[in-house]
Amino acid sequence: MTPVHFAKPAKSVACWLLCFFMGMQLLQAQTPASKEYKVKAVFIYNFIQFVDWPQNSFASETSPFIIGILGDDPFGTAIDEVVAGEKFDRHPVIVQRYHDVKEIKNCQILYLSSGEAEHLREDLAVLPGTGMLTVSDNNNFARMGGMIRFFTQNNKIRLQINPDAARAVNLIISSKLLRVSEIYDPNKPQQ
Amino acid sequence: MQNDELPILRNLFFCIKRHKISKGFLRKIIILGKMSPISCTASSCRSIFIAIFICSNACCIYTNAQTTLPESRELKKLSVEELMNIEVISVSKSPEKLTEVPSAIQVITGEDVYRSAYTSLPEALRLASNLQVAKTNSHDWAISSRGFNAAQLSNNTLSNKLLVMIDGRSVYTPLFGGVFWDVQNVLLEDLSRIEVVSGPGGTLWGANAVNGVINVITKTAKETQGLFLSGSTGSFLKDYAAVRYGTKLAPNLYFRMYEQQFDQGDMKLKNGNDANDGWTMTQGGFRMDYFPSAKNTFTLHGDIYGGKEENPTNSIENGQNIYGKWTHNFSERSELTINAYFDRTLKDFPVSKITDRLVTYDLDVQHRFRLAPRHNILYGLGFRLMDDNFTNAPSISFNPPDKMLHLINTFAQDQVNIVPHKLELTVGTKLLYNDYSKFEFQPSARLAWLLTPKNTIWAAVSRAVRTPSRFETDEITTALTTPGGYFLSETVVAYELGYRLRPAENVSFSIATYYNIYDNLRSINTNPTPPSNFIFANDQKANSWGVEISGNVIAADWWRLRGGYTYMDKKFTYKSANVLPTASSIEALDPLNQAMIQSIMNLPGHLQLDITGRYVDDIVTPFTTTTSVNAYTTFDVRFAWEHAGYTISLHGQNLASSDHAEFGQRQLPRNVAAKLTIRF
Repeated sequence: MTPVHFAKPAKSVACWLLCFFMGMQLLQAQTPASKEYKVKAVFIYNFIQFVDWPQNSFASETSPFIIGILGDDPFGTAIDEVVAGEKFDRHPVIVQRYHDVKEIKNCQILYLSSGEAEHLREDLAVLPGTGMLTVSDNNNFARMGGMIRFFTQNNKIRLQINPDAARAVNLIISSKLLRVSEIYDPNKPQQ
Repeated sequence: MQNDELPILRNLFFCIKRHKISKGFLRKIIILGKMSPISCTASSCRSIFIAIFICSNACCIYTNAQTTLPESRELKKLSVEELMNIEVISVSKSPEKLTEVPSAIQVITGEDVYRSAYTSLPEALRLASNLQVAKTNSHDWAISSRGFNAAQLSNNTLSNKLLVMIDGRSVYTPLFGGVFWDVQNVLLEDLSRIEVVSGPGGTLWGANAVNGVINVITKTAKETQGLFLSGSTGSFLKDYAAVRYGTKLAPNLYFRMYEQQFDQGDMKLKNGNDANDGWTMTQGGFRMDYFPSAKNTFTLHGDIYGGKEENPTNSIENGQNIYGKWTHNFSERSELTINAYFDRTLKDFPVSKITDRLVTYDLDVQHRFRLAPRHNILYGLGFRLMDDNFTNAPSISFNPPDKMLHLINTFAQDQVNIVPHKLELTVGTKLLYNDYSKFEFQPSARLAWLLTPKNTIWAAVSRAVRTPSRFETDEITTALTTPGGYFLSETVVAYELGYRLRPAENVSFSIATYYNIYDNLRSINTNPTPPSNFIFANDQKANSWGVEISGNVIAADWWRLRGGYTYMDKKFTYKSANVLPTASSIEALDPLNQAMIQSIMNLPGHLQLDITGRYVDDIVTPFTTTTSVNAYTTFDVRFAWEHAGYTISLHGQNLASSDHAEFGQRQLPRNVAAKLTIRF
């Protein structure tokens, strides 16, 4: 086997590629959270208003309202900016990030990132029973027992809601939200 | 590579009415590009440094023009209905599931093809940097992955190590084991994605997947509803017209039909004269998708086409195919797929009086289920009958001229989660029966190690075969034949090692390396016994090695880049003294280096600017005047205005290097075209 030998054009290609990748890194470093996730962050914040939170959701009257993000965070600082200084009744709204489903003890809204897709079903199974609204982008989320799924249609964000899954943990989702969302129907094929 | 391993990719289609940024509350905010300082001490990096400077500047300019969302506090004032009206996706996302796939797969989405200047399926394959795509004449291409693009035979090439599937239908011809690319047309608007796997795919896909698999997948009829009209006129692709209509026939029953027609001009001969090799093609078809319940889906689609090539006409082709598929979900852990197709394709060469008609019947059954919590099993059985009818002529003849070919295959694969979400092993094998080499084994083992969800190292060892074709067994022309029709399968044992990285949501990179050991490769020998002619034998061995790098970057919500670089080299050894010294140059005409980059930009004012650039190294052979090709760099541009269902675009192809040869001697001209597309 002859040694790998780079001809002159190879060198210029290598230079070009190096430039390409380094240029990318610079761009990457300054790219903010995508437009999509900025809007999704606002959606998640709005969900607070559209759910009847049972009293036992909170440890005390002033304990925080926690929006949890499990797995890789696609929001960057966008979701922190949205909830900064916001309160739900007397509960300050805060964001917490989790790397493992076992870290989650008490949170009201949980976003499961797409990176979690592989173990989504297991994650959903281990989550504490009551009072937690689950949200994800995963295609099969509603089918797997998740409550609100973001999807994109005509480049716009749409919601698919599984109200039965919410009801099972004592959460009632407002009809105002249900009216503008697609309701998950287990008998309808998912495309 | 199994199609179903990429469920997320299925949803990677994007709606037709894109980029309608019309909401009143959107305002433009200027973001000043904050550049990090670059430190580089090596003086030899001057050219790199200058290039970075250009890159950085370019990004500053465009960042300044960025259209962004209102601040979060303003978004918060909007109602849910208003939020739902904001357009959020401007350039498509990279397929994220790819991070975990243990093979060298690259995916070209329908959107990537739409946002290029390319107008046909083979051209669109230029967007996969792990493929060598070279145009041989106005109507044919030489396409290979990991090398072994073989010499030209009449209008086509002898390349035979790539398996190509279009919506589940295998399109290689048993005549010579290659693909007649001129009759593999799809309406590009229908493309959902093209999966390109370099490296052996024999375990799942079957014979001929020695060096790679191309899997073309179109959208469902549900995704292509409404009316689509498109027409263009240009200098090389002279006229192009397409129409498609999709409708809902009943609840859960969707239908579409399409027709397209084009007239492509001539390339040039080496001496600059007109090659008179233009062609026209008309193709139509339909697709029906029925989703009666969550458990069952049905698909039925078909195409019919006809065309003629060269002036005076030297080739007439036509064909029909129909394909049906039923998928049944027993449960989430168990799925059965049954599909069948019929394909008839005819090629008639009136000048040389050769006709070849191939009729294929195929039936496949596949079942996937979870055997135990850590074992996912996929197994299947397939049967294919190919009825080939060849009309012999003095220039080339077969004995027997008509032949019925049988292909039976069965495979099984187990995907074992050794450590859940960390270490995954896929082992499987295919057992194949064919009329020539009888039984063939094609086992493979693939290991994926997920360092983190965004970092995967994978390694694979596989064996694949290229079964004999009629060309090497039944061909009886005196000048070149195979004594007794005795020809073995060509084999490869491939060792692969790769790494996939997703450092951020909007950036992904992949690097794949391989070392292949081939044996029993086709050789052309001098006949040791009279008559003194040339004969086919299996007397070549070869080793090949290479690196494939690819990347996908969403630089901003209006700018996406994808690209790659491929290096490939090989060494042949001859097993017999009778092998022609130049035999290896007939089997493998490959560039050492090639690179591709695609830039997709949405500019303000409903404008789109899309550029692809590519570099292909020299093809070096002893036949300097016939098959050697000089390196070239060229680029293609699409500039479009798209608004409210109307798209007006200008396309420039091969702008930098007009009249360059890509394979053989014919020279590819520049194409400049204008196109109008309307969608209702």
